[in-house]
Amino acid sequence: MCTLDTRLWVDRYGPTNEDDLAVHKRKVQDVRHWLSEAFGNDPSGKLKKYRRILVLTGPAGTAKTATVRMLSDELGFDVLEWRNTMDERFSRSEGDWDGVEYEGLAEKFRTFLTRASTCRPIFVSQTQSSQTQSTQGSRTSQIPPSSSSSSTSASSSRRRVILLEDLPNILHPATQASFHLALDDFVATPDGGVSPLIIIISDAGLRGEDAEEGGARWRSRSKEAIDMRNVLPPHLHNSPYVTQISFNPIAPTYMRTALKSMLDRHFSSPSAVGTRPTKDVLELIVESSNGDIRSAINALQFACTADHGTHKPGAKGSKKGKGPSATVMLEAVTRREQSLALFHLLGKIMYNKRKGDPSGQSSSAKDVRREKEIDAGLKDPPPLPPHYKHHERRASRVDIETLYADTPIDASLLSLYIHQNYTQYCDTLDECEALMDSLSWVDSSGGESWHQANPYQFHLVALGTMHALPNPVPRRNQKSFKPAFFETLRQQHEAEDGVRDVQLWLQRQLGSWPVSSWGSRDVVLGSGSLWRAAERAGAFAEPIPSTHRRFSQLEFAHVRGGLVEIAQEGEAVPDEATPQRVDRPLAGADDSVTGNFLSDDDIEEW
Amino acid sequence: MSLWVDKHRPRSLDQLHYHHALSARLKALAASGDFPHMLFYGPSGAGKKTRIAGTLLELFGKGVEKLKIDQRVFLTPTKRKLDVNIVQSNFHIEITPSEVGNYDRVVIQEILKEIAQTQQVDLSAKQKFKLVVIHEADSLTRDAQAALRRTMEKYMTNMRLILCANSTSKLIAPIRSRCLLMRVAAPSEEEMRAVLDYVGKREGFAIPDDTARLIAQDANGNVRKALLVLEALKMQNTDLSSSALSIAKPDWETYCHKVADMIIQEQSPARVMEVRAKLYELLSHCIPPSVVIKTIAEKVVDQVDDALKADIMHWAAIYEARMRVGNKKIFHLEAWVVKVMSLYKHFFLGFDMDAGFDDF
Repeated sequence: MCTLDTRLWVDRYGPTNEDDLAVHKRKVQDVRHWLSEAFGNDPSGKLKKYRRILVLTGPAGTAKTATVRMLSDELGFDVLEWRNTMDERFSRSEGDWDGVEYEGLAEKFRTFLTRASTCRPIFVSQTQSSQTQSTQGSRTSQIPPSSSSSSTSASSSRRRVILLEDLPNILHPATQASFHLALDDFVATPDGGVSPLIIIISDAGLRGEDAEEGGARWRSRSKEAIDMRNVLPPHLHNSPYVTQISFNPIAPTYMRTALKSMLDRHFSSPSAVGTRPTKDVLELIVESSNGDIRSAINALQFACTADHGTHKPGAKGSKKGKGPSATVMLEAVTRREQSLALFHLLGKIMYNKRKGDPSGQSSSAKDVRREKEIDAGLKDPPPLPPHYKHHERRASRVDIETLYADTPIDASLLSLYIHQNYTQYCDTLDECEALMDSLSWVDSSGGESWHQANPYQFHLVALGTMHALPNPVPRRNQKSFKPAFFETLRQQHEAEDGVRDVQLWLQRQLGSWPVSSWGSRDVVLGSGSLWRAAERAGAFAEPIPSTHRRFSQLEFAHVRGGLVEIAQEGEAVPDEATPQRVDRPLAGADDSVTGNFLSDDDIEEW
Repeated sequence: MSLWVDKHRPRSLDQLHYHHALSARLKALAASGDFPHMLFYGPSGAGKKTRIAGTLLELFGKGVEKLKIDQRVFLTPTKRKLDVNIVQSNFHIEITPSEVGNYDRVVIQEILKEIAQTQQVDLSAKQKFKLVVIHEADSLTRDAQAALRRTMEKYMTNMRLILCANSTSKLIAPIRSRCLLMRVAAPSEEEMRAVLDYVGKREGFAIPDDTARLIAQDANGNVRKALLVLEALKMQNTDLSSSALSIAKPDWETYCHKVADMIIQEQSPARVMEVRAKLYELLSHCIPPSVVIKTIAEKVVDQVDDALKADIMHWAAIYEARMRVGNKKIFHLEAWVVKVMSLYKHFFLGFDMDAGFDDF
C-alpha cells in the first residue's frame, strides 16, 4: 500500500475551484474583482494604483485563506507569505532593552515588505511540485519556512500577491508602530509596486477579561484584541488604498454541500478508510460548527475515523446503533465554545425565572411544556426558619452550573454588565440595595491580591443578583447596554496623563528642591481654579499644560455619551463583536485628535 | 517662576513658621548621627514634605538639592513593563509607589535592594547611609508593606526610610513599630495667617485681615490650599479687600454636593442611574473614590434627620473599606448611594405610617 496520506482533510481536500468553496459567490467575486483590478485588468486601468491593500476579516474558519489560495490558482498568481520566526526574537540577553545594532523582527518585516512589493523575483527557488502543493494546502502549507522567513513558490513570470496572515505582535506598542510604518511605506510605494498586499484578520471573539482598574494602567493601555483598527495605521482606515471585505460565518446550506462533496471525494478514492457518517451526524456537525468550516471538517474526519475503530465497516447493526452514540461522541468533540450569547446570558439572570412562574403570553405551547418539565425536575428548597423568612425564594429555573459552563465572559465582566443594567429590572429600591450590596460584597471578597481571588465569584454574582431581583421580573421592554465602565476608565487614564503632565510641569518650575511636594492627589484636589486663573493671566513663562482640564474641569450638567446596546440576534461570537466595533472608532479616533478636543475646549473657556 | 506654594516654601528647618518644637527635635536627630527610620504623618497640606526636605538638608547639606529625574523601567513577574518616575540626588531617592498600583511591591523591592546594596561612595558625605523617601505610604498595598517590613531591618546599615502618609491607620503595625513616628499636625488659624502674611510680604502686598481669615478658614488647616487660593485670588483681582471676594470651591467639591442633593431629592431606581452617571464622571476626572464618598456623605448627613446620620456614616465606612479591597470602585460607591436612598426612604415611609396611625 502506498504511504498513507496523514494530512488533515482540511488540507487534503481544500477547495480547488469556486464550486468547492463554501463561500457566497458574491464574496468570491468581490475578492476576484479586487485582485484583477490590482493586476491592472480593469477596463480603465486606473484602479490599479488604489488596489494596494485588501483586508479580509471574519471569524475563524470562514474560508478567507482558502479563497485567496483558490483564486491564486484560478487567476494565476503566486502567494508570497510572511512568517514570524521565533528563534531570533531575543537573541541578545533579556535585560538589554536597547538592542540598537540588532535587526529585530520588526525591521525584518519592513525589509521584507519593501522588497516583496518592489522587486520581482529573480531566483526560482522551488520546484513545480512544491508549488502545487502549496496552493492546495491552506493555512498549513507544506513548504518549510525558509531562512529568510518568507516562503516563495515562484516562477519568475507570474504575478504575485503578498499574504499577511501571521501578523507580528501588534499588541506590543513598539512593534505596532513599526508595523504601521511598514504599511505606510508600502502604500506610499509609487505605481511601480508590483504586488498587492492581502491581510487576513480573524476576528477573535471577545472573551471577557476586563481590564481592572486599580492602577493596572499598563494593561488597559494596550488594546485587547487584534482587529482592523489596530492592524492598520489610523489614517489608512478609510484610505482609498485599503479595501475591506468581511467574511461571514459559513451558512449551513453551503457547509452541508461542501462537506457532502468532500465525503464523496474521500470515499471515491480507493484507499479511503473509515465509514461514511450518516446524514444525522453530518447534520449535527453542520449545526454545531457555528459556521466554522475548518472545525466542521475536522469533526467530520474525526467522525469517520473514530467509527472505524469501533465498528467494522458493513457490520450489521452498526448503522442503527450509531445514531445516539455518535451524537454523544460528537457532542464531546465538537463542543467548541458553544457559548451562550452574552445577551441570553444576561436575560437568563436578569429575568430571574423561578419555579411556577406563569409563562408569558407570547410563549408557544412547546415553551410552556418545556417550562413545566423543568419545574418538575426542580426540588423545592427546604423552608427557612422564621427569622430568615424574607430570604425565602422559590427554586430557580436557572441552573447555575450550566450557566457557568456556557458563559462567554468571566465573573468580573458579568458583574459589570449586571451593574449597568440592573435598575431596569428592579421595582423597588430595596431590591436595588440588596443587589448592589451583593455586587459590592463579591467585588471585595477574597483579598487584595490576585491569588486570593474568590473562585466562586461567578456563582456569587449570579445567585446574589437573582436573589435580589423581584420575581417575576416585570417585562417593560428592558434593553441591555454595554457597561459605561470602560469608557470611564479610558477617560480616567487620560486624566491621569493630565495629572502627570501638571506634576512634571510643577517639578520643572521648582528647579531644585529635595522633595517633590506634589502628589497626584494634591494636584487633583488642589485648586483647579488656580490653574485656570493662571492660564488666563498667562502668569507663567512655561504655560501650564492644558491637559489639566481633563481632571480639573467638571461640569455638572454634562451629559454622558450614548450607551451602546448589546446586539441581540444570532450566535455568540460574531455578533458580540459588533457593538465592540461600534465604539472602537471612537476610541481610535480620540487617540489621534486629542489635540483637537483640547483646542475646542480652549475656545469654550476663553 | 513657580507657584507661591513652592516659591516661598521654607528651605530649611530654621525657616519653618510653626511646630518649632518638632523642628528642633528633627535637627537634633539629624545631628546625632543615629538616625532612625521615620514616618511622617498628618493631614495634607500640613507641611510634612517641607519638613522631610528640611531634614534631608540638615542631614546631607546642599548636595541633596542637586536632583535628577529618572524614568526607570521595572519588570513585573508577568514580564510587564512598568515605568516609574524617580527623583534622586546623590544621597537620597524619592518614590511614589502608589503610582504603579498593584505592582508597588515590585518597585519597592527593586529600588530598596538596589539602594541598600550600594555603599555611599562619596567620602565627604556626612552620613554613610542613603535615604529613601516613600510618598503616599498609606496607599501601599499590603503585599508591599509586608515586603517593606523585612527590608527595613535587613538593610539598616546602608539605608534609612522616611515614609510619608496621611494617617497611620492604613499601615500595618510592624511598619509603624519600626519607625519613629512624627506627627505633623495642621497649623492653627493663627499660624496659617502668619504664613499667608509672610507670603504676602514677600510678594509685595498686604493681605487684609478679613481676607486672610476667610482664606484660612476655607483652607481648614491645609496650607497648600490656602496659598493656592491666595494666588488664584490675587491673579483674578488686584484688590484683595474682602467684600467682593468669594472663594470658589473646586469643581469636584461642588459636583459632589450636587450629587448629594440628587440623592436627597428622589429615591428611585431611575435616580440611581442618574447618580451613577455623575459618579462615573467624578471617577473619570481622577477624583479619588474615598474622597468622593466622604464629601458626599458629609453633605448628605448635613441635610438629614439626626436619626439617620449615624447609619449613613456607618455604611459609608463599610463601603469605603470594601472599596479598598475591591477592584471596581463604582460598585461600592453606588451600593452606598442605594443604601442611603433606601434608608432615607424607609425613614420617611415609617414616618408616614406613624402619622397614619395617629389619625385612628
